[in-house]
Amino acid sequence: MALPLPPGLTQAEVAFVAEMELVTIVPRQRLESIDLLSGKTPVLRPPHRAELPLWLALLLKKQRRANIVPPSWLHPASLTEIILRETKENPAAFSPPPPPPSRAHPREPGRARRLAESDANLSPPFQPSCTAEAPAGYLPYHWLEVAEALLAHAGDDMPVPAGEVRSLLRDLVEVRAAKMRSSTSQLEGFGGGLMSLRGVGAMELAESRGFVLGVVDGVRKIGASAEATRREEEELGGGRNDDDDESDDDMGI
Amino acid sequence: MSYYDIDSILTDAEKIPCTFQFDIPDLGYLDNNPGQTLKTGARVGLPLWLAEMLAIANTGNIGPDDQGKSFVAFDLPPALGNDVVQALKADPRAVPIRDQSAHFYSLATHMMDLSEEPELSTVLRKTFVTRAGEIALHARKAGGGGSGKGGASEEGSNLGVGGAGEEFLRGLDEWERKLFRKAHDGARSGKEWMEGVKKF
Repeated sequence: MALPLPPGLTQAEVAFVAEMELVTIVPRQRLESIDLLSGKTPVLRPPHRAELPLWLALLLKKQRRANIVPPSWLHPASLTEIILRETKENPAAFSPPPPPPSRAHPREPGRARRLAESDANLSPPFQPSCTAEAPAGYLPYHWLEVAEALLAHAGDDMPVPAGEVRSLLRDLVEVRAAKMRSSTSQLEGFGGGLMSLRGVGAMELAESRGFVLGVVDGVRKIGASAEATRREEEELGGGRNDDDDESDDDMGI
Repeated sequence: MSYYDIDSILTDAEKIPCTFQFDIPDLGYLDNNPGQTLKTGARVGLPLWLAEMLAIANTGNIGPDDQGKSFVAFDLPPALGNDVVQALKADPRAVPIRDQSAHFYSLATHMMDLSEEPELSTVLRKTFVTRAGEIALHARKAGGGGSGKGGASEEGSNLGVGGAGEEFLRGLDEWERKLFRKAHDGARSGKEWMEGVKKF
């Protein structure tokens, strides 16, 4: 089979999936609710804000029927704080992802519980992490795609000039790319090599997937024969508690 | 190693120094003595696929004195020799592996399958991981002349990576070249996407 594409999503595909993220818009015209596969869109009555999927928001923006409210983590202050956290406070790991939405527990002050009771809604395009209510200081899974899309098509809706936000974004991309590259160096030790990728964005994964998989595969091949001998020794040495497999009863331990 | 894999076939073509443990009639031409028998103890370079077959096959208890001795005994090829290993231990990034063998890692893995080499295994693992980090750096720099972090040479032109970078890239073996290609493709498509995001 001569499929030229490597495994996983390409950048364009990731960007496409990211357009499912909900963003907050300020409509300029009334619009009735539309029946989409994922549910009905909210009725748009200006000037009330509403949450729509990104693709629909961009369409309306292009038609000048709405303005998009950028999420709070896209603000320069928030981005600067994140860059600081990436470089100074936590150079070994990525910044944590945003916490799932929670509300204060009505009867126990000081404790919060998650809004979505079922776990079905906890994966990225369905988490409300790009709306205006998203917490600042955390980068959601689709941060780069959503940020670029908003800067390209809704740059005038930003609280600050788009150029400033763009340069901060570029810095953030470089810092995290360097971190991604150095994350494979943890594979040096024998038998180890778990890299924590918590907090990595979708676009970064798409870029470095080929490389990281290649490194891990290479390390596996190099250690393959040593691993095989080690396993044999373990079986000979004393594994009496093997479920099925060949019984080594005649080994005479 | 798979049978049809091109890299596997090329790796198996590398020469391994072997010592014959029997007299073999009529094979003298291998040792520059055409027409004569090949004496015990003659050292000949055989391709890996042949050396492997001869080393694993044995005479199977034919006579009273040879109890299943194998036909040849092999050593590590010079590409995996002691000085190379020491150089890799000292600085993995400075060794042009391709000069030793274009299929360095593949060859080493195959040899480790045949004989126990724990030190080689650890050294190679560390080498591979260290050089992989370097490869990723060069891949990103070559990807579009972006503001590469911590680049040694400051001439970040869009066409090349600078002198020291080229030296390193010339010394990559096949596995590392594939890794470089993957990293480079990833970085390049990332940059292409960023340029193209305006087109809606």
